[in-house]
Amino acid sequence: MGKRLTNRIAVGVLWLCGLTTVLVLGAVIVYVFVQGIGQITPEFILTAPHGVNAEGGIGPTIVATIYVTGLAMLIVTPVAVLAAVYLAEYAVQGRLVNTIRFAADTLASVPSIVMGLFGFALFIEAMGLGFSVLSGALALSFLMLPIVMRATEEAIRAVPRFIRWGSYGLGASKWQTVSRIVLPAALPRILTGLILAMGRAVGETAVVIFTMGQAIYMPLVPLDPGRSMTVHLYTLAMEGINMDAAYGTALLLMVMILIFNLSARWLAARNRRLKG
Amino acid sequence: MVTLTASGCTSEGAGRTEVIVTGSTTLLPITEVSGEMFSEEHEGTTVLVSGMGSSAGIESVSTGSSDIGTSSRELKENEFELGLVDTPVAYDAIAVIVHPDNPVRDLTTMEVRAIFAGVITNWSQVGGPDLEIGIVNRDEASGTREAFLKIVMDDAQFDRGAVVLPGTGQVRSVIADVKGAVGYISLGFVTDDVRAVAIDGVVPTEETVVSGDYPVQRVLHFFTDGEPEGVAREYIDYVLSPAVQDTIVREAGFIPITAKEGLGG
Amino acid sequence: MAEPGQTPDAGRGTDPSAAASGLKMMSRATYLREALLKNLFLVCAVVAVAAVALIFVFTMARGWEVVKDPGLVAFLGGSEWSATLGRFGIMPLVVGTLAITIGSLVLGAPLAIGTAVFLSEIASPRMRAVVRPAVEMLAGVPSVVYGFFGLVILRPIVAEMTGGMGFGTLTASIILAVMIVPTIATLTEDALGSVPPGIREASYAMGATTWQTIYKVLLPAAKIGIIDATILGMGRAIGETMAVVMVAGNAPQFFKGLGAPIATLTSQIVIDMSYATGTHKTALFGLAIILFLISMGLVALVRALSRLNAKKA
Repeated sequence: MGKRLTNRIAVGVLWLCGLTTVLVLGAVIVYVFVQGIGQITPEFILTAPHGVNAEGGIGPTIVATIYVTGLAMLIVTPVAVLAAVYLAEYAVQGRLVNTIRFAADTLASVPSIVMGLFGFALFIEAMGLGFSVLSGALALSFLMLPIVMRATEEAIRAVPRFIRWGSYGLGASKWQTVSRIVLPAALPRILTGLILAMGRAVGETAVVIFTMGQAIYMPLVPLDPGRSMTVHLYTLAMEGINMDAAYGTALLLMVMILIFNLSARWLAARNRRLKG
Repeated sequence: MVTLTASGCTSEGAGRTEVIVTGSTTLLPITEVSGEMFSEEHEGTTVLVSGMGSSAGIESVSTGSSDIGTSSRELKENEFELGLVDTPVAYDAIAVIVHPDNPVRDLTTMEVRAIFAGVITNWSQVGGPDLEIGIVNRDEASGTREAFLKIVMDDAQFDRGAVVLPGTGQVRSVIADVKGAVGYISLGFVTDDVRAVAIDGVVPTEETVVSGDYPVQRVLHFFTDGEPEGVAREYIDYVLSPAVQDTIVREAGFIPITAKEGLGG
Repeated sequence: MAEPGQTPDAGRGTDPSAAASGLKMMSRATYLREALLKNLFLVCAVVAVAAVALIFVFTMARGWEVVKDPGLVAFLGGSEWSATLGRFGIMPLVVGTLAITIGSLVLGAPLAIGTAVFLSEIASPRMRAVVRPAVEMLAGVPSVVYGFFGLVILRPIVAEMTGGMGFGTLTASIILAVMIVPTIATLTEDALGSVPPGIREASYAMGATTWQTIYKVLLPAAKIGIIDATILGMGRAIGETMAVVMVAGNAPQFFKGLGAPIATLTSQIVIDMSYATGTHKTALFGLAIILFLISMGLVALVRALSRLNAKKA
């Protein structure tokens, strides 16, 4: 078999790989869309589930999802951004930095079920917070920390060096440079990272099921329990009684995540265009 | 599926009273609907219902995380000392279900036990086609499983290789789909997608349950920590009233707790 | 220790005159503020370490008693997991995890690497603009949606194929394979991207075809990166829970075939957690500890391999 033929076959196979990936994504999206679109009515989005077969809508779960994700981002962003500032601007290569990076990598690869169990042991049992948006948000923030740290650090490092030199040359202190020059310059990229992290948080199940709980409830204060859309989808799928609602939930979930992803991309593209 | 913990019993939050009801998924058709109706009729009261399994319900009511623990099984030996008070709310039969195309319509208790223990593995051994039997089991938190274990299995253990599904609806849809599958669900959940087989010649219906002829039946319970009081008591009375018993309980496919009264049983 | 008035890597370069004159370049108040802020940021960074330590401590505290009951050997080596019988041996679960991990890697790694190679070497910019976002979006689909998809679409198909109910290693492996493709593909693409373009040009200049270049030059050059990607994909497969619970069948038995139901370290936790008490609950935390140690071990492995790679370069 000549090298040309081998090449043709191999390239063909690689094309197949690329297309398969796209097709799989397409299949999942199309299927969820087709099955679920019929469910999406204003009542579905706004009302609460009720009745024998979990009829009604999924309003409380949407609120719970947004609430817990928002609260988690509120908790994690300051810590993660400042940690990234340290790693990017102040840190010197050494044992400490290595340990921090190892810890961040480990945190990023902890299975979410372990994070959920840990959240249960710490926030529910030890701290007595009970199933609540707060417990869920705290547990999620552990998960989000390495993601936001990494994105922010990369964003800061992407700021060209000469901008800092200009600032120091004018006699600015380190903090003045970081806060007034570097961070604002890195802001679009940081925001992109935050949005992507939020998309990830919205898709979490194992973490929230053990910390925010399963009760269908419209959470008002952080100590209220709630059921996220992911947990609702899981419950509906396993109960198997109202599959229509399950498809509707899956669709809304995907739409929400798609919005996050597309916003992040749009922001990144806009940033690239502006910076040239 | 996790135990729901809250900040205490019948909590007053921002002028709202909450009754927390957790436990059996089988009871959900009763608790969710009646809870909703009760909340509507009583301003400022919310009944919070979740279903994670009878065992979860019993545990949470004994630790105080919920006001009422619903269960589709009896208390186990080690649970007697928890000091729980039992209020039965309905009767239920557990039906053994198969695919509608499965010609087997009648099994003896011994055969059912042997099937679920994995001793009988082919439908041909019980007068059916040459088809491998696929056992669909419930998860261990399920009261339906516990009840089935106690009433039908006696001392035998479930086949280790049975598929375990944490939800009645899933059991039903899998069995509706797979020709050789067999499982058990509450009679109230049986739909035309599946067929309930007769056990020892008795088909599960409301009559055969009330008369006691159908052997695989059980009581559905509301457990409380001590005698029920306050809003929880009101809710339980509501569930026991004809407004719920004759409508919601029947609609859900269960038998009202009042049905047996005339028979002294 | 830097002189007051000189911050460590301020980019001012080494200006000998400033150091020699010892002139204070900033007020004492500013210096204190700078030092305070630096330490504040340091504390924030150390939070990551504290978080990991916290997770370790709490899961350990909650789960270490499996060493006493049922005992380390019975726990790690026991071949039966049955809560009703009080036996908590993890071997069936370990085998289950192993089975679907291998299955998903066998199915997913080649597809992922192939996609990455496609993106990096073959796709036109237009194709790239379609395929790369597709890979990213695949990463964003929540695991429950994948599990849901597996439950309603894949399970009946596998049931037809294997004659069973469609729950088991095959279904779980397929779903997991799809889930780890984005992880492995993006990292592999990065690895291929960091191979200097000159190497490709040299290869083509010698008359090699695209495939020959990929196979004999690029893949070996990016080998460590690809291995890293695969290890991280493996970690993802080992740690996945929700999708597995929905399609694996949750029967804690040893591998009996691709169509037979199976349970994993992760799925068993979710199934049992709602009602577990006492020893059972402690055993579940024991499972969590094992999973935590495995993921930490994989991270250490990847870091060690990267250090090795850096030394070679």
